[in-house]
Amino acid sequence: MDGSVRLEEVVMRFGDFTAIDKTSLTIGSGEFFSFLGPSGCGKTTLLNMVSGFLTPSEGQVLIGGEPMAGVPVNRRPTAMIFQNLALFPLMTVFDNIEFGLEVRGVDRRTRRATAERLLALVALEGSGPKRIDELSGGQKQRVAIARALAVEPRVLLLDEPLSALDLKLRQHMRSELKAIQRKTGITFIYITHDQGEALTMSDRVAVMSAGRLQQVADPVTLYRQPATGFVAAFVGENNRIEARVIERLGERVRLDAGALGELEGRVGEEAGLGVGVEVALYLRPEQLRPVAADAGGMTLPARVESVSFEGAWLMVAARLEGSGEVLRMQLGSEVSRRFADALAPGEAITLGFDPAETVVLPRDDGPRVDAETGEVVEASDEHR
Amino acid sequence: MSIARQLAARFGGPLTAAILALLGIWLILMVTLPQLQMIDYSLRPNLLPDQRGGPEDGWTLANYATLFANDIHRAIFLKTLWSSVLVTLLTLGVSYPLAWYLAKVATPRQAALCLLLLIIPFWINEILRTYSWFILLAFRGPLNELLMMLGLIDRPIRFLSGDAGVMVGMVYAYILFMVFPVYNAIESLDDNQVRAARDLGAGTLRTHRRIVIPHAKPGIATGCIMTFMLAAGSYAVPALLGSPGSRWFTQIIYNWFFEGGNWNQGAAYAFLLLVLCIGFMSLVMKVFKVGLGDIAK
Repeated sequence: MDGSVRLEEVVMRFGDFTAIDKTSLTIGSGEFFSFLGPSGCGKTTLLNMVSGFLTPSEGQVLIGGEPMAGVPVNRRPTAMIFQNLALFPLMTVFDNIEFGLEVRGVDRRTRRATAERLLALVALEGSGPKRIDELSGGQKQRVAIARALAVEPRVLLLDEPLSALDLKLRQHMRSELKAIQRKTGITFIYITHDQGEALTMSDRVAVMSAGRLQQVADPVTLYRQPATGFVAAFVGENNRIEARVIERLGERVRLDAGALGELEGRVGEEAGLGVGVEVALYLRPEQLRPVAADAGGMTLPARVESVSFEGAWLMVAARLEGSGEVLRMQLGSEVSRRFADALAPGEAITLGFDPAETVVLPRDDGPRVDAETGEVVEASDEHR
Repeated sequence: MSIARQLAARFGGPLTAAILALLGIWLILMVTLPQLQMIDYSLRPNLLPDQRGGPEDGWTLANYATLFANDIHRAIFLKTLWSSVLVTLLTLGVSYPLAWYLAKVATPRQAALCLLLLIIPFWINEILRTYSWFILLAFRGPLNELLMMLGLIDRPIRFLSGDAGVMVGMVYAYILFMVFPVYNAIESLDDNQVRAARDLGAGTLRTHRRIVIPHAKPGIATGCIMTFMLAAGSYAVPALLGSPGSRWFTQIIYNWFFEGGNWNQGAAYAFLLLVLCIGFMSLVMKVFKVGLGDIAK
């Protein structure tokens, strides 16, 4: 059963607004694939083109190698799990799960057997006769999964299905979804704005912004080798220092960071880092650490601005002496105990980092993520 | 009583007392007493003024029995029942697709325009609207002219003075009472429910049968009850578009009161019609498994 999905140069326009710019992508059969992006980036539009609720303005969608043009929603080998689940409230759990089979003319006994089997798969044995409003949030979630799986889709489409659940349950359902995907071998296409969900569950993630794919990669690559400034800022947390290239040193570049002096960083995926190019140096908070003021290597003198206790780690905000920018540093409990005295607001501190753990990317005009609020800033607001 | 207390908190004691007194007087004088009077009428024989209070004046069910003894009246009663059911079903058949379109298909602009077009005719009095149908459906009227011109018929059809005219007129007269409750009910359905049904493979018919109609049931029940009551109690439409071929029970009641001068008999017939309506309403509520509370929504 080929559950591959191919998008061939699809474009989606609503009047003058281009929701999806020319996009091509192949999702392998049996892959857990996520689209990650802020709201309004076009990820739901893409999903709706695969499910058939929307017809692309240009290009085509293929499922299992077959073109889907002209194939209506109810004839596609996909099943969708809606953000609000859209369970049928007037039906029992059994009737919900069996609905798709009833439509296909499957006889009552086979239907019931399938429903029982799926309820067992999602750990809800015995809940079949219940009404939907008797179920908890997590149970509804499972019924929605069972209902979608009942029609034996080749591709399961999930539209932020966990967003209504509380944190604990959400984390639990992540591993559950992943397990179900492994057991069934169905292609999962998962839409989310929550990078935690995308990174923990997916085989590959496509980061989207403003109707374009920013990067398609496995979670580790996405985190360690962001291809664009948007990905660097949107996936995980990143500190950003603006600089200019002075010299290429193989894998590394020497940078002029203005008031911060000369710094070194690792060349990101994009090659266009010639001498004189305006770039951004990205430093993950967990890769910064306090060092002695006279320590060698890359150091940034700073003053502690605030310290917040986050349980397993401390998050320290430090204002750089040179530029006045605030960097965030994440410290494990051991390090933070060692430097307990230096970590009071107002204390001087020196931040050190290893250039090999950084990423240098050309400054692009694409949308950015505001480091403090986490909100996406459009390209036009880029003056600071 | 909590309502009185709430009112008192808002308006103060004396004003509350006045409001409640007015309400009470209105309910008793304008609603309850006339009804009781009619019940009293219906249970007494029709006597000359000087016989009233005499030995013959007493409560009897004779007026009610008349209907069951008179074959013609009974036939008209049953025919009114049947025709009203038919009107209700026809109105539902016309209104459901319209309500679906308004609630889920049309853009807000289209919906507003469509609603306006539906409502404008209702700015005109029911009798006048019925007269316009009288003209449209006339033997030598525009509709027959059009059908002849298109070559669909050889000679004019007699739409009026029969059931067809009455049906058309009534569906038209009561369509809003069906469209609005059904529209409200469908509107409240989450679009994703419909999308989910489609996504699971359901076609249009099944989606409506299994998802939309069950959800819209209270609205459909409300619309059916209102339309049935209005149809069964209608006087103008059958009188103008149906007579003499199609007689309605309301016309018999009218005749008892104003032509036969027998208010007692008329009152009894009116109550029988009321019983019929209440019976129909309870039946619909039972069939659709909805309570009074659902309908009041």
